[in-house]
Amino acid sequence: MIDLQLLTQAVGDLDENTILTMINDFVATNPSGEDAQKVVFACQQGMAIVGELFEKNEYYVGDLIFAGELLSKTIDLLKPVLSSVATQKFGSIVIGTVAGDLHDIGKNIFGSMAEAAGFDVYDLGIDVSPSAFVEKVKEVKPQIVGMSGVLTLAIDSMKNTVDALNEAGLRDSVKIIIGGNPVNEDACKQIGADAFTTNAAEGLKTCQGWVK
Amino acid sequence: MTDAAARTNERNQIFRDLFSGKTPKRVPISNPATQDFAIQHAGLDLAECQWDLTKLEPVYDKFCQDFYTDTYPGGSIRIPSHYQILGSTPIVMSSSGFMQHPDVVGMLAEEYDQFIASPYDCIVETILPRLYTGFNGEPGKVAMTLAKAMRAQSDDLAYLGAIRGKMNAKYGFATMIGALTEAPFDFMADFLRSFKGISGDVRRYPDKVAAACEAVLPLMIKKGTLPNPSMLGYTFIPLHMAPYLRDKDFATLYWPTFKKLVETLASMGQNVQLFVEQDWMRYLDYLYELPENTIMRFEYGDAKVIKEKLGKKHIISGLYPVTLLQTGTKQQCVDKAKELLDILAPGGRYWWQADKSIIHLEASGPVVENLKAVLDYVHENGTY
Amino acid sequence: MDSKYYVTWEEYLAEHPELEGKPQQAIAPKIEKYEDAMFTFIMDLLL
Repeated sequence: MIDLQLLTQAVGDLDENTILTMINDFVATNPSGEDAQKVVFACQQGMAIVGELFEKNEYYVGDLIFAGELLSKTIDLLKPVLSSVATQKFGSIVIGTVAGDLHDIGKNIFGSMAEAAGFDVYDLGIDVSPSAFVEKVKEVKPQIVGMSGVLTLAIDSMKNTVDALNEAGLRDSVKIIIGGNPVNEDACKQIGADAFTTNAAEGLKTCQGWVK
Repeated sequence: MTDAAARTNERNQIFRDLFSGKTPKRVPISNPATQDFAIQHAGLDLAECQWDLTKLEPVYDKFCQDFYTDTYPGGSIRIPSHYQILGSTPIVMSSSGFMQHPDVVGMLAEEYDQFIASPYDCIVETILPRLYTGFNGEPGKVAMTLAKAMRAQSDDLAYLGAIRGKMNAKYGFATMIGALTEAPFDFMADFLRSFKGISGDVRRYPDKVAAACEAVLPLMIKKGTLPNPSMLGYTFIPLHMAPYLRDKDFATLYWPTFKKLVETLASMGQNVQLFVEQDWMRYLDYLYELPENTIMRFEYGDAKVIKEKLGKKHIISGLYPVTLLQTGTKQQCVDKAKELLDILAPGGRYWWQADKSIIHLEASGPVVENLKAVLDYVHENGTY
Repeated sequence: MDSKYYVTWEEYLAEHPELEGKPQQAIAPKIEKYEDAMFTFIMDLLL
């Protein structure tokens, strides 16, 4: 059986070769879905270490991006053996870069970290209109909506999106978090969001708090 | 001499003094709002004006009239025509009419060796065809597309240059020239490997990243070279990736070729202006090592610490938070300008600029009035 | 810069013997100007 503690540590260290070797060896043993779940959980614990190192300023955003990439590679390798069990999800999030803005790096970091943490993530992409957010929220009924943007105009688009959710009668069914360079407490109030962050790891913590 | 010409002379002298480490007669000011903002301020359609440049002359006239500035407020601008002709993917116009840069991959990880062997060959043969559809297809078509694009850009730049000349003649701005280049690591990241790609590369093949930065350094120096180093102006280098790197990756992969770039340009007699994006506070000791009078426009940081560490050797700028113009009262905005003047102006080596450009204007918002108040305040009270 | 897509005046002259005896002091800046204009254009596409 795979050494789960070692795997957690390897994920924390972002040691790609060790992780991939361990996962490939594990999958080759034709494991049960339950065992595969344990491996996913060990990886998620490794991601928690990554988050801690980020908070301690030992890792930076580049490391978070690399961590996200490693995690999605790992999950892809595990998918064939995971499919036999219903995967446990913590909740679902609809995310997108708001209308008029094409910057998606921050959104993508957050998305891959949220996915790694066990959320169902519906990523609407970039330059997403308020109506596209509304339609997706109607369709998948997420607990959380995450809006991202880098330009100062994103603040207005975020407000328009919240207004559109309000008009559709959906605002109270979701928590809303905004992220990106121009957001701050004032902007958050003005927009009518529930939380703001300029830090993907912190944003994820906020979301985890909401679905506990 | 006309009044405007006299103002140009006076302003040129202020910047000559500033760039050479002398204390100028007052703190010079550059309006942080851009052409995009100016078009919205004039109440015109953003996309249309960027295609039909004949609409821009009255736009700039109103812009220059309404907002105090010592330098022409039409900085580096991306005009859509040649990007459209070339089938651009890295620079596109969004639904809101702003030209933006989505994260793209122009070079694959397995192409590092090819790039290192000859960066410019790799750019022409491999990278541009991946990023710009106009570089693909029959050679004759590619040649014609390229010719059209170059002609379009040349016409557009000439037209914008003519407007600039008229505004300088009317408003007496400092006449500065500029060249644009990037730190080699940022060049590798921004259009070639992407944010995600480079983040993996620094862990998977750091040696190749370092070799690629060395290989591309001569191109970045050439790109940053002014037509004549004795002309008033500077090489503008926006800095991007360093805050996202671990200290050791910064020290080994980012800093060495970036330092060589700035040192080489300075040794040619050129001024260099860095746009120090994001949080560089942990790298201030590195920045101190750069040649004397390097201009550093900060997006973020503690003004006192920056002044104390760098202010006797380098020229400090930026730090004024443009988001305050959106959310603050006029008094709060002016108070912030005063606070920064009090910290950064004593002893000289300070140029008033904001922490970022203002591209978006919400018509009903307070930005116009707040920005005017701040620019006027600094103009009237900007003593060293 | 070692590239087949960027030619210095000396390299250009070596490839173009027909310029022998022509007013090279007038030709050189012209040829160099457009070589550099192309370089700047290309690099600006990646900045």
